[in-house]
Amino acid sequence: MAFIFLIPSVLIIGVFNIYPALYSIVLSFFKWNGFSPKIPFVGLENYRTLFTNPEFYNSIGVTIVYSLLVTIISMGLGLLVAVALDRDIKGKTLYRILYFLPVVTPTVASGIVWTYLFDPSQGIINRTLAFFSITGPSWLTDSSWALLSVSIVGIWKRVGFCMIIYLAALQGISNSLYEAAEIDGAGDFKILKSIKIPLLAPSTLFLSITGFIDSFQIFDLVYVMTNGGPVDETDVLGLFLYRNGFDYFKLGYSSAIAVAIFAILFLLSFVQWKYTGGGDEN
Amino acid sequence: MRKHVLLSILIVFTFVCFTFAAVDIEFWHYWDGTNGEKLEALVSQFNESQSDVHVKAVFVPSSSIVSKIQTSALSGRTPALAISDIINISLIADTGKLVDLHPLIKADDYNVDDFYSELLTYGTKGDTLVSLPVSSSNLGLFWNKDLFREAGLDPETPPTTWEEIVEFSQIIKEKTGKDGFELYTGGGEGTTWQWQVFLWGANGEFLSKADDYRTAAFNSEAGRQALQFWCDLIYNYNVSKIAPWGLFGRGEAAMVMDGSWMVQFFPNQVSFELGSAVFPHPANGNFATNMGGEQIFLFNKSDEETAAAWEFVKWFTQTSVQVEWDKATGFIPVKKSVSEDNGYVSYIKNTRRLLLPFVEAEKYAQARPPVNEYPEVSDAFAREILKAIHNRVSVEEALGAAETKVNDILQ
Repeated sequence: MAFIFLIPSVLIIGVFNIYPALYSIVLSFFKWNGFSPKIPFVGLENYRTLFTNPEFYNSIGVTIVYSLLVTIISMGLGLLVAVALDRDIKGKTLYRILYFLPVVTPTVASGIVWTYLFDPSQGIINRTLAFFSITGPSWLTDSSWALLSVSIVGIWKRVGFCMIIYLAALQGISNSLYEAAEIDGAGDFKILKSIKIPLLAPSTLFLSITGFIDSFQIFDLVYVMTNGGPVDETDVLGLFLYRNGFDYFKLGYSSAIAVAIFAILFLLSFVQWKYTGGGDEN
Repeated sequence: MRKHVLLSILIVFTFVCFTFAAVDIEFWHYWDGTNGEKLEALVSQFNESQSDVHVKAVFVPSSSIVSKIQTSALSGRTPALAISDIINISLIADTGKLVDLHPLIKADDYNVDDFYSELLTYGTKGDTLVSLPVSSSNLGLFWNKDLFREAGLDPETPPTTWEEIVEFSQIIKEKTGKDGFELYTGGGEGTTWQWQVFLWGANGEFLSKADDYRTAAFNSEAGRQALQFWCDLIYNYNVSKIAPWGLFGRGEAAMVMDGSWMVQFFPNQVSFELGSAVFPHPANGNFATNMGGEQIFLFNKSDEETAAAWEFVKWFTQTSVQVEWDKATGFIPVKKSVSEDNGYVSYIKNTRRLLLPFVEAEKYAQARPPVNEYPEVSDAFAREILKAIHNRVSVEEALGAAETKVNDILQ
């Protein structure tokens, strides 16, 4: 009887997750443009081409830099905001909502709005800088600023999520610990360093893993804001995959890229999990 | 007895119904707005003009028409007729499910020579012709007459050569502080297809036609001249910059290369007086432009459906219908007889003056190489030349690297 109730979920996951995932592994051994009736088997050729393609390594580099920037900075800022909002301050619910808003704002919409903000001549950012006699950069078209600009939006979108997780964890820390620390003469900073941060370790682990995995799969934001440019400076793996699959119609090759991304993510998550104590609170 | 009579009537009725019933065919397209409304009107006009064929126009968003055609070809549920952007025709033809139009053209003595020959490049696959042009667009020069006036230039005289672009731009920069010319530096096909006009203007070739478009031909004197010109505009003459697209529209650049479709949009978007012209060429070159547009094709179906679809194509591509179509949509004529049609010419001269240079330029229009790999070629090419545009490598290095990449893709 239980099995019958499982059927819808199994079917949905099977048809929309498992089957496409397995099929893309199979497809990675073929050369196919999606149109031709001929689908020749090419063995490992797609992987050979991928591993000798400098664009692939550039994309890995760009994606890692983006993921590190977004994961680490959003966690840092999220923690600060959470600690600040963990007190009894006026309007804290409003602040919490405001910080969380970017998380639920659609990424494409955020990307478009930020593109306007970043406009070198008309954007509010450079206009504000100009007010202070600072010449702002061409945020999205200058090759040394583009990745940072996209990362800023990524961080802006994630801070709220980190805040909520940290806030929940902070509220789970027993007040007796703070009281004991205060009796021992610990100040705010000491409490943060010796009580809050260590006790938030499981949340930090959770946020670093999910943050890295999420950021590693970034696509929409970059697609809307820079489309990988200028000069491949923001050409993240997701975009590299999309371009090959849906602009160039190299379905076999892009499946090989997908498999490679999966392998990288699996490995990184495993290493991260192992080195951070596997989520063990002790 | 009565039973027999009834049965006979039923049989005759069924026979009559089947014999005289119109053949229903589906036509997939992605024209929306005014273009979509005009198409619907024309399709109704066709359906009412005869009783043998009934065309049902089905709108598919442009972003998904290629994938929809792709899946329909795989599942065997293709429509009888569809359109696609010219650049995807080669890929769609790869399904092996498009009808070769040559036998139909021959049987009906259909005048295919009336189409601009470059447009037929896209539908030509070996000895077969799988598509016919039904709309076209091309690139030209738009200029801001107000900025010309402000700089003391004659607002009615646009540049006709690259040298004049530089000359005018420098005056504009000096007198108004605004950029002279806006370049598309956003990469991808946008950069490639604009740059190709400069290459062709300097008498260059993008992929070698003699080699069936299987080798790069842009790493030539003309290619170097074209790319050097872009870099010079930015770094030598300081009249262009690397910036998000849209400077011209906001009055921050005096000239831009843009498409004939902007004749529809610019007048409502900009707050200055506009001019349009055939795009300038270098003193040692010739006029050139790049073409866009859609082509119509038939999928292999029953003989009856193929004949019905062909009837519609013949009707839709005839000069009188195309004149009506182009007048309503602002598309550039795909047939010489339309460009020369008195009614069309006087309409353009009197009511759509900005479109006139684009209609004139169609005879200089060149086709992007009709190869399956074109999207990848175009993208790889833009990536490499952008390195020169960003002053990371020299013009020669960028073209050399682009040549290697493009040849790798095409091998």
